Amino acid sequence: MVLLQLLVNGIQTGTIYALTAIGFALIFGSTRIFHFAHGAIFVIAAYVFKFVIGDLSLHWGIASIAAVSAAVLAGLLVNFLIYVPIQRHEGSYFTVFVASFGVVIVVQNAIAMIFGRGFVAIETSLSNAVEVFSGLFMAPLFGIVIACSAIVLTGLHLILTRTHFGIALRALSQNPELVRTFGLSTRRLSAYAFVLGSALVVPAAIFTGATSGLNPSIGLHIMLISLVATIAGGIGSIWGAACIALAIGVAENLVLWQLDTQWSEAVAFAFLLVFLIFRPAGLFRLASTH
Amino acid sequence: MSNYFKGIGVSLILGLAAATTAPAQAEEISIGGVFPLSGPNAIYGEIFQSSLRLAEDHIKDDQMLEGGMRILYEDSQALPQQAVLAMNKLVSVNNVPYVMSAFTGPSKAVAPIANRSKTVVVNGGGVGPDLAKLGEYFWNVIPLANTEMRSLLPYMVEEQDYKKFTLVYVDDPLGEGVLEVLQEQLPELGASLVNKYSIPATAQQFGGLAAKIRNDDPDVVFLASYGDQQVQIIKQLRQNGVTARFASYSAFSTPTVQALPEAEGALYATQAIDFEAEDAFTRRFVDDFKAAYGKLPTVYATNYYNAAMVFAMLGKELQSQGKPITGENLLELRRATESFNLVGGSVSFDEKGTLIAPIQIMEVNGSGSKVLKIGKP
Repeated sequence: MVLLQLLVNGIQTGTIYALTAIGFALIFGSTRIFHFAHGAIFVIAAYVFKFVIGDLSLHWGIASIAAVSAAVLAGLLVNFLIYVPIQRHEGSYFTVFVASFGVVIVVQNAIAMIFGRGFVAIETSLSNAVEVFSGLFMAPLFGIVIACSAIVLTGLHLILTRTHFGIALRALSQNPELVRTFGLSTRRLSAYAFVLGSALVVPAAIFTGATSGLNPSIGLHIMLISLVATIAGGIGSIWGAACIALAIGVAENLVLWQLDTQWSEAVAFAFLLVFLIFRPAGLFRLASTH
Repeated sequence: MSNYFKGIGVSLILGLAAATTAPAQAEEISIGGVFPLSGPNAIYGEIFQSSLRLAEDHIKDDQMLEGGMRILYEDSQALPQQAVLAMNKLVSVNNVPYVMSAFTGPSKAVAPIANRSKTVVVNGGGVGPDLAKLGEYFWNVIPLANTEMRSLLPYMVEEQDYKKFTLVYVDDPLGEGVLEVLQEQLPELGASLVNKYSIPATAQQFGGLAAKIRNDDPDVVFLASYGDQQVQIIKQLRQNGVTARFASYSAFSTPTVQALPEAEGALYATQAIDFEAEDAFTRRFVDDFKAAYGKLPTVYATNYYNAAMVFAMLGKELQSQGKPITGENLLELRRATESFNLVGGSVSFDEKGTLIAPIQIMEVNGSGSKVLKIGKP
């Protein structure tokens, strides 16, 4: 029963990781901008939701809209105020990375100044697990996480495959020169990628706040998971990133069956390392001219 | 030309004479604080600084030290490597004679520098048992975890009849120290450590750990963690069906644990400080703290206020004796001082430089903590 419980926990953790990673995978895959500040967007979304639902005592729907708005606005600001000027001056890939890392530090400290440095959690009875049968505990939030993920992933799939915007984003990911040849603005498409990618992080931010709580520096851990999932999943492949993120969450928990928590991240990442040795292009590598 | 040189010579002589006869302006004395000011444990840095701001004001108002005193803060992020960098800067660049440190790992990391440079380091927050063995220049103004647990464990086993303990501990010197104490003391008391789980300081997901602990079915889950992580552990274990009582060392005395509904009923040990004491020293600190922050000070806040005041008292005495304020002189004078009147009453240091203080058993009650029992020092 412990193993089954660990599997259930792993699926919940992995699904939240997947929701986090797909936003980063979309932005990185489309624009090739190493958007390390994705972790900062996650933190902003989580704290705005917590502020609106907790401090202002407003409905969760309003809090969600506020969180999405804040995340999208922050994503666009980072793109237009940081990345676009650097790229305009032909700043290198690493310049963008360092600037993005700087954004994380600035946001981390700004959040700490505004909301305090201590631990906060989004209080909800939905995260309290009940015994569904002997020895197996599940929280109502588990079902919500799974349902929300299914909706988000299906919606994203439809957007990317059935809309001109989505097809253009995929084209940007695979061949930006061809996109320009067709008269489309890569800069505008990049901005759309930031809008969509930033909005995608919101469900994960809310679920993380409700299940494990928040602190201003949580963005770094979030980025680590997103980064590994995106690379191991195959750069440009949103589904690859989602699958690997889910696998990390499940592996982290199943490891506990025989080993200490101490080893859970190490074993999960060792598994990924071995995976990359045998499949260096990632799980679903897409063709690209970047 | 000769008149020109004569003029310069006279000016120099007059200048030197003026410099030697004018009253010497005492230099401001700097001491250091190596605390986590960023990262998940930054909340502790805020707590420590809150009372140190008061200490600086009180020392200045009372003109305890000629030239005044200021505290230079460096960010350790509660990490040993960062603490060493901070300590090296304070010792080599700022030449401070006295540094306040926090957390067991960082404190252990800076201790060799303290002993090598003869700089006093005072810990008021770390409670790892090893902190008593770090050399003559390393002092503790806080009783260590082994002392706290020597009061807490007999109370839990003999008076509350808890027999099965599970330990969740951070894999660092503090956690290892707590594990050693539990392994040694529980069998002597007739209880047992049914399982132990080491966790990295960065871990944030504990749903899986909850499943394992439920399977152990302990009476008590003993936590040896700190900062945001211990709050996450408590919250996630409770949410995932762990009903055993929580217990810890003084780490549970932070405001975040005190305010956490899931922590209600948790037991912990901490040094007993009588905030109701009528002596002027305690009243001034408690009243000014309440006026500044609208709440009672925590034990940690009190310890760092006391640490700064110990420096001011020793420094004042050294200045009155005409001796420079150096680490060596501070150590010599502390050894010669039988007791210090600090917040909560008169206290003394043992031969290894660790504060001797009574320990109290506390229970988190949802709106703070209540005292269950006070032991002798």
